[in-house]
Amino acid sequence: MKAWFKSGSPWIWMTAGTVSLALIAVLGLIALIAWRGLTFFWPSTIYEFPFNDVDRQILIGEIYEREQIPVTRLQDAGIDTSHITDEFVTRYLVKIGNREFVPLDFTWVLATDIARMETPRDLVMLERARNGNFYGYVEDVLEDGISVMTANADIRAVFRDRIRRAVNLRDEAMTLQRGPIARINYQLDQIRLERRRMELRGTFTEEADAALREEEEALREAYLEVEAELFEIRQRAQRDAVVMRDMRGEQVTLSMNMVLDATYANDMNVLQKWGYFFRQIKKFVTEDPRESNTEGGVFPAIFGTVFMVLLMSVIVTPFGVIAAIYLHEYAGKNAITRMIRIAVINLAGVPSIVYGVFGLGFFVYMVGGTLDQIFYPESLPNPTFGTPGVLWSALTLAILTLPVVIVSTEEGLSRIPSAVREGSLALGATKAETIWRIVVPMASPAIMTGLILAVARAAGEVAPLMLVGVVKSAPTLPVDGNFPFFHLDRKFMHLGFHIYDVGFQSPNVEAARPLVYATSFLLVTVIVGLNLTAIGVRNRLREKFRALEH
Amino acid sequence: MITLNAHNTNEKLDLASLSEEETALRIENLNLFYGQAQALHDISMAIPKGKVTAFIGPSGCGKSTLLRCINRMNDLVESCRVDGAISLHGKNIYDRDVDVAALRRRIGMVFQRPNPFPKSIYENVVYGLRLMGVNDRRTLDEVVERSLKGAALWNEVKDRLKESAFSLSGGQQQRLVIARAIAIEPEVLLLDEPTSALDPISTLTIEELITELKSQYTVVIVTHNMQQAARVSDQTAFLYMGKLIEYDDTNALFTTPAKKQTEDYITGRYG
Repeated sequence: MKAWFKSGSPWIWMTAGTVSLALIAVLGLIALIAWRGLTFFWPSTIYEFPFNDVDRQILIGEIYEREQIPVTRLQDAGIDTSHITDEFVTRYLVKIGNREFVPLDFTWVLATDIARMETPRDLVMLERARNGNFYGYVEDVLEDGISVMTANADIRAVFRDRIRRAVNLRDEAMTLQRGPIARINYQLDQIRLERRRMELRGTFTEEADAALREEEEALREAYLEVEAELFEIRQRAQRDAVVMRDMRGEQVTLSMNMVLDATYANDMNVLQKWGYFFRQIKKFVTEDPRESNTEGGVFPAIFGTVFMVLLMSVIVTPFGVIAAIYLHEYAGKNAITRMIRIAVINLAGVPSIVYGVFGLGFFVYMVGGTLDQIFYPESLPNPTFGTPGVLWSALTLAILTLPVVIVSTEEGLSRIPSAVREGSLALGATKAETIWRIVVPMASPAIMTGLILAVARAAGEVAPLMLVGVVKSAPTLPVDGNFPFFHLDRKFMHLGFHIYDVGFQSPNVEAARPLVYATSFLLVTVIVGLNLTAIGVRNRLREKFRALEH
Repeated sequence: MITLNAHNTNEKLDLASLSEEETALRIENLNLFYGQAQALHDISMAIPKGKVTAFIGPSGCGKSTLLRCINRMNDLVESCRVDGAISLHGKNIYDRDVDVAALRRRIGMVFQRPNPFPKSIYENVVYGLRLMGVNDRRTLDEVVERSLKGAALWNEVKDRLKESAFSLSGGQQQRLVIARAIAIEPEVLLLDEPTSALDPISTLTIEELITELKSQYTVVIVTHNMQQAARVSDQTAFLYMGKLIEYDDTNALFTTPAKKQTEDYITGRYG
């Protein structure tokens, strides 16, 4: 035993064990999030539960969760358990949907109460634009209130065609709203601001007013035209309806313009299920959220996160690199420099919420408020930059990540062999020329390392953003087709905040849980993606600037 | 014992009283301090134009330090202080109004280890020209060809000028660095132990190159290798403990040294 200790093997076991633990922790985390997040997209079986007690209403829905609970707990809750012999009993959480017809769209069911678990092939799950999912049987398809079903028509095919038509109309309406309508509104607002600007400057004249009026009139007319088109589309979308039989056995008529998709989950083969799975993921990634974020996709949040991180990188890199160059190349090697360096490193340890408070006080109120008074007096008292927005978020996170970039850039600069610097100086280059032509390019892999760390930190940061620009739901993206295309004053959505919002602020906690996992997995994927891109760039730079290693 | 260079025996210069036209550099009463420690003691010598002058001496004798004084590379060492004068065409390079970058363009330098930049072969050669603002493609092409030919590297690299300089061997890299230095046509070329990191064959190539170079440039070479000094140089200066012990025609210094210390060193009794 003593010999074994002396041989050093325990040391190897201990170190290797620590690495394994770290690895297991990371992989476990990813695996859990991925599993919980991704199963959300898998088509789950729709069950129909008749109960032992024949008078009790049949339930239709998806099993959301199952758990074992001790019978004693049921007894404590005052439930009759005389028919149960086991010590534990299985309990299901069933998502029954049909939110507008039942008081709660989730309900707990004891396995012992259930007579059978049936999976009829005709059971359908409808994804709806409002009120969540609907479970039931398709009975009839109506056009203008009249059935279109003939004796030998396939009801599924008819239904599918009608859904497709409704979805297309919906998309059309959406395109109109996002495109022409949004543009006209934006332009009208610009005209209003233009008039206000002239008034403030005292250059407001009758002719100018007339010109603006004319423009306004033209826009209004255009608006009315588009609006008429929109109403017409909506009218057409309301033509069809579907008659459903729900679990109460009642017939319910649902307008087709609310139905987005119909899934016969019990009648799918594996291939179809995979197809559904990937379609759902695509929807999640590309669509806008619905129903206060508990349904639909997270596209604006992905866009906001990536855009804000890129904007931050664009700000922090030159700033950090230039600061590091001064500290390393020009500043005297004395106590003050050392103190500044220590201060910079310690900045990295300041809690991020403090940066948020600083960003709100300094950037938003001071800088933004001043900018508004100088450049946007026409829109006051409505703030333009004097309110949280994506620019301030990027700047706040840039300050937060500045130390990381400075430290790794300095490290990179100190690794450049002095032989190369001397070689450049000996050819008649000044110090500045040497730095910009030789030293900085050679240090670029280290700069990229700094940027990678900065991105990793910034993309996951939520707390400061809540103060300086993130919102639960942003009506517009920070980039659109209206001049000047980048609207850095706008608020934005962020995946990290989205997780918090869906998980803790949502009215429907059960429905939101899988979304929390899915969004978390997506956030991790986005950060890993950003990092891999940066690492790829760094490796290419390393290859290019491989120092003199011989 | 020591083979002497065949073509340095023809005419003998009187190093003590060189005329102004024959002199490339004149070093007068040069003292150099690193903080409190004095590294060079009162050195005076004249380096003749169009010749190869070698500095020899044991490690730490100050020969590299002296060489680095000539193009003011010692300015980079913070604690370093110089007094005395080094004149190039009668102008002291330590005067206040001297533009150090311009000075270094006139006095090129090649270091102990090859130090190519992480750029293509082509870009390495034209680096100095680009610094001067020359960007005309044809001029650059001409300079690259002339410099690489001058450094006896053209035939080996003419088909891969766009490749990274790191793809070259050590000896080739050192010749590339020489090409880079002569691309801006300096008057003086300082070589700081240019072959100490190279294999014998590369060393031979470089030595041949040095004898070629002296037709156009004044060459000053530091070497710890006495055979090399004897082979390539016209004059040799022997330094010991920061002092110039003896400075004479290479032939004379190696065959009939005037000082005991020189004799001890060249016969291998110390160093």
